[in-house]
Amino acid sequence: MTEKCFDIGTIQAFLDGELSSDKMESVSRHIALCDDCAISMAEAEEESAFAFSALEQEFNTLVPTQRLWTKINNSIEKEKKSFWKPIFGFFSNPSVAAFASLLIVIGFFAAMLSLKTDAPTDSAMEIVPSQESVVSPISKPSIAIVGTPVENSKSKFLLATNSVSDKSENRAVKADFVKREGKAVRKVKPNIPREMPIDDSGQRAANENVLGEDSYVKTIATLTETVNSGKDEVLKSSARFAFERDLAVTDDAIVKMSAEVKRNPKNEAAKQILRASYQNKIDLLNSVAEKTELMASLK
Amino acid sequence: MIFINTITQKISLTIFALLVFSPFSFAYAQTAEVKPKIVVVPVKQKFKRKYKKVMSGSETFAEKSIAVDATVNITLCVSEGNLKINGWERNEIRAFVNNGSEVGFNVREKNKQSNKAVWVKVLGFDPTKNIGTNPNECLSGEEIELDVPRGATVIIKGQTSETIIESVGKVSVEIDGGDIFLNGIERGIDAKVYEGDITVGKSGGAMTLTSTTGNIVAFDVAPSGIGDIFKAKTSSGAITLQSVEHRQMEINSNSGSMKFIGEFLSGGQYTFGTLNGSILLAIPQNSSCKINASFGRGAFNSELPLLNVVKNTTSNTQGLSALVGSGDAALNLRTYSGAIRIKKSEK
Repeated sequence: MTEKCFDIGTIQAFLDGELSSDKMESVSRHIALCDDCAISMAEAEEESAFAFSALEQEFNTLVPTQRLWTKINNSIEKEKKSFWKPIFGFFSNPSVAAFASLLIVIGFFAAMLSLKTDAPTDSAMEIVPSQESVVSPISKPSIAIVGTPVENSKSKFLLATNSVSDKSENRAVKADFVKREGKAVRKVKPNIPREMPIDDSGQRAANENVLGEDSYVKTIATLTETVNSGKDEVLKSSARFAFERDLAVTDDAIVKMSAEVKRNPKNEAAKQILRASYQNKIDLLNSVAEKTELMASLK
Repeated sequence: MIFINTITQKISLTIFALLVFSPFSFAYAQTAEVKPKIVVVPVKQKFKRKYKKVMSGSETFAEKSIAVDATVNITLCVSEGNLKINGWERNEIRAFVNNGSEVGFNVREKNKQSNKAVWVKVLGFDPTKNIGTNPNECLSGEEIELDVPRGATVIIKGQTSETIIESVGKVSVEIDGGDIFLNGIERGIDAKVYEGDITVGKSGGAMTLTSTTGNIVAFDVAPSGIGDIFKAKTSSGAITLQSVEHRQMEINSNSGSMKFIGEFLSGGQYTFGTLNGSILLAIPQNSSCKINASFGRGAFNSELPLLNVVKNTTSNTQGLSALVGSGDAALNLRTYSGAIRIKKSEK
């Protein structure tokens, strides 16, 4: 080897395609003949591959089109389920809106008038304290719920309401209290995601992140939906048989290796096979989708 | 007074409700009309155009030629028939169809200096004659033959045909069904077939060979530049490689077996992975590589002496790492239920 070996910076620049065309050619020619430089090249490539594998989960996310479709579908679903939509729909009619506005104006004046006339009356004063006596004990336990046991707050409530003679009002207040209490309890309850790891070590969660299983599962679900809609038209019986058989092989491997990884998160061999099985399934489904596309483009 | 009071309370409640809802109703009434509707157009719609097939009239064959640049890009599609493409020394494309469609050329781009075509589309009709008939662009016939410059890049899509390509610069081919034979391709191959075999011989450059249900065979292939990768993938077919000199190889199959006969080069990275198939490597006795193997419920056997062996066995998986020689190349082997066998090759 007569030529001098290149430094790692030049090799890295060569890998990144940052050299001039002449330089690229000379480096390429040299590396093809020099084992030392080829080893350096391979090491640099390995480092790049390592970096890419670390970012694999990021790269494996759904393609923008699929993400866009998911967002659109979610938006449509939300719109369908909207609580306010029927109410807004009713008031969207301009004549209804105009009538409502008129009522507001009239109502506003009526209210002002009634407030002026009601203010000095004694009967109103008589009712207000009785209402306060009912409401006040509820507000205390409802505040105390966050920090105090439920039974204590209930007993406080019962003691406070003993003085109220009207049973129907008592029931109403009790119902109201239970409703509020329920809300308060629900607020306190921690929001545990379904796929949260149950074990204390958190190894499984870390493992799932390493494998990027969620990303695989999402991609597979999307592809399966696409493929199932058109596989009968695209695949002949022999190809269909081979497809189903290969799918069964990958599914079997996924189930068994997944169980193995859950049992022993440090089992690298199982992880490798599991990752490969997921990738094989994606490739298999993709092949049918691509075939569909090819057939359509040739029609 | 109590009665009056109740009435006033009801009125107040009504007013309150109206006050709450009316601003929303106005806002919604204004926004509802301008809100764009999402119209979902089925993707398949755009492929539903029907093209008219133009036949070659009373004659049994159609033939045409065109002068082109030496490194011309040629694109074509084949709806049916056997396709044969051959590289020749002339800077000219000659297209011949027997018992099938007409032939035509659409020059997409020319070299400004030489005024020769650098991008040509070969059509299943003559664009100078069939104007406004919406003809089928794909070639069809019993035999389709093309002679193209040796430096040409050929891009093919096809439905059902046997495809033979020899002595051209670069090839990209995607066929639904039928075997693909590639020989003497200088600068790289991207071949994909869904139901058929791929055979590649005496070629160079980066290679990606994909067959869903068929087999892949490659022999006497080498990189044309540093960094050229050799990739081969099948779903259920076998992969056989002999004298593949790429430093980076990724060989994958779902349920197919794989066989490699050749050498692992210093600094190379080689990955062989299958779920249900077996992996057989026939390599020289003086090979130098670092083995990292996962073989599920399968087996591992080596005729070459292994050094620094580390085994990791559980109830469902087995892992092994070892050195052969000084470990210059990295060798990753993975199977779920197949066997891995390393054999001495007779050099």
